[in-house]
Amino acid sequence: MKVRRTYRIMLLTLVGVIGGWIIVAGNVKVPGLITGVQSAFWRPTNSAQLVYYDPLPAEAMDDDRCEGAPVGVATTLAADPQDGAGADSSGKKPVRVIRDRYPSYSSVAVDTSRNEVVLTDENLFNVLVYNRLDNTAPTGITEPKRAIGGLKTKIEFQSSVYIDPKNGDVYAVNNDTVDTLVVFSGQAKGDVRPERELHTPHGTFGIAVDEERQELLLTVQHDSAVVTFQKTAKSEDAPTRLLQGEHTLLADPEGIALETKNDLIFVTNFGSVHQVRPGALVASGLIRQSDLRKPNWPLGFGNAIPGSGKILPPSVTVYPRTASGDAAPLRVIQGPKTQMNWPTGIAFDPRSNELFVANDMGDSILVFDASASGDVAPVRVLKGPKTLMKNPTGIYVDTSNDELWVTNFGNHTATAYKLTAAGDTAPLRTIRSAPADQPTLSIGNPHPVAYDSKREQLLVPN
Amino acid sequence: MHSIAYDEIHDEFVVPQQFGQAILTFRGEADGEEAPIRVIQGSLTQLRNPDRLGIDPVHNEIFVPQGNQVLVFSREANGNVAPIRVLKGPDTQLGASALAIDPVHNLLIVGGRNREAAGSRLLIFNRTDEGNVKPKAIIGGPKSGLAHISGPFAVYPPKGQIIVSVRGSSSESNEMSSDECFVGVWSIQDNGDVPPRWTIGGPKGILRMVRGVDLDPKNKSVIVTDKRLNAVLTFYFPEMF
Repeated sequence: MKVRRTYRIMLLTLVGVIGGWIIVAGNVKVPGLITGVQSAFWRPTNSAQLVYYDPLPAEAMDDDRCEGAPVGVATTLAADPQDGAGADSSGKKPVRVIRDRYPSYSSVAVDTSRNEVVLTDENLFNVLVYNRLDNTAPTGITEPKRAIGGLKTKIEFQSSVYIDPKNGDVYAVNNDTVDTLVVFSGQAKGDVRPERELHTPHGTFGIAVDEERQELLLTVQHDSAVVTFQKTAKSEDAPTRLLQGEHTLLADPEGIALETKNDLIFVTNFGSVHQVRPGALVASGLIRQSDLRKPNWPLGFGNAIPGSGKILPPSVTVYPRTASGDAAPLRVIQGPKTQMNWPTGIAFDPRSNELFVANDMGDSILVFDASASGDVAPVRVLKGPKTLMKNPTGIYVDTSNDELWVTNFGNHTATAYKLTAAGDTAPLRTIRSAPADQPTLSIGNPHPVAYDSKREQLLVPN
Repeated sequence: MHSIAYDEIHDEFVVPQQFGQAILTFRGEADGEEAPIRVIQGSLTQLRNPDRLGIDPVHNEIFVPQGNQVLVFSREANGNVAPIRVLKGPDTQLGASALAIDPVHNLLIVGGRNREAAGSRLLIFNRTDEGNVKPKAIIGGPKSGLAHISGPFAVYPPKGQIIVSVRGSSSESNEMSSDECFVGVWSIQDNGDVPPRWTIGGPKGILRMVRGVDLDPKNKSVIVTDKRLNAVLTFYFPEMF
């Protein structure tokens, strides 16, 4: 699931299903749709092309309606190795597929040494690298110069990305499907194994790195926690600190930003939370036994206190960098004046002492004085049709070029603005992965599905 | 969010809110940023990690699987309310991760695995069972192919069929994508290590990491989500209906 966009995606999907139905069902015979292009073989063509996805078998997209053969007792299943694995015994092919065939950007970072912008794609599962100054023509799309994607990479729903300023290494955080932080060299491309992997708690979302102290901090949505690892941590290394508990006011934390001058961290929270208690209950299958033995590992649902759940207003919570245990925040920015509505990515500009918040459901960027507390209005808001902003989730402050980068999960774009932009201001540049008139399905890790027989619609939470 | 159930009798849909330990009910035509019409949440609910659910619109009940128990609420429950009954105890053999209700045959089918079972299983109870009750039937074992029930599943009461998404065996290589995935169809009359009557989309088919499944009986279709394909697929399957 992606849990963080659940309601938005569910409702967007209601709208998008009809459009997507037309888009995909109408194109199912197009070879370009059913032939995935492995990123390792990607070449510029100056036209639309896929970078990577697991291809659908060509025969699967024929729209003839086969009769399914009943499975007899002797029918083999791959799950039974003694019987061997046969072909799909049903021969059944979908008559319709709803699928967005273009990347949807979720997070962003800038590699100033290479003058590149790095975007994660949570639709086709890639990390995509573009020239920083790329600017998509109004009727075109822009192709990445490099792409990392494929099963070897362990890249799927990468919700945050960090670029090591010294060596260009790419750190990509998985949200919800693969509990692994993957690290690639700055030159990596194609379906390659990560240079380094770190097993993380389930449901990580944001990343901040303290280069001076060589630490990396991750938010954990499911457990409402922040875990700190050594920056060089790998494999099954344990966190060095854990921030979790009722007094932290962490509640479905998303983005995280570091402020080194005053040694602070800022965390955005959607607001849903339950309380946990050590030793409350360790239910089978809810947490790996090996993780239970690790120090500073967050308590999971197995330790949840039944009936303790709350749905609070969204917030930004502020802590000392070294906060641990059940430490209360120093300050909380929260309330109706803040305009926060699913605050997701967050970035800090030390020169102006400003916090930039990607306000997913508000289709806006909210800028706060980083010293703010309580129910305060942003010092400025970037929002409106000229901004091209739609469901912004990722944000990056490029202090070298005085630019603000935003990923718009809702419209296939990443947009760059002046750092001081406010109001309904057009971006300086736009990177768009799909034709401008292509609707975005906003499908991200579809899990359940329900058929609304009254309206003949599909309900697809994610 | 790992579950959603549409109630065509009352034109509502119900979803679990796992982090906030809540069950939310929305109008069927809800659109945009609309508040739920009912919320079950609070200290009396016993909700710990509501990840999936099922609805019985005929008998006005909401079922929530929670590991070693199944909580049952009134469909119209709102606020901090206790479940009207709880299925729980060693005899139940529950390792409940998903469920479906057959209101015609008065059955509750629970999917999941517990500590003792090697793979996932389907446990069939009477719909109104409460407390420490043995299942009427158990479907599971190597021939069943129920290695890992993947997500919410469905029942088709007119034919007494259970339609289940199966992820394939648990292994690192199968973590992201597996050609062992399929949708299988069993009968409510099945018991023991029984293979599916039909399979859809696999094994070695189009599905890569199947998740949820629902039915469109009017159009004789099975609707399936797939995480790796990041897609929703519709299979026309008249022989099942």
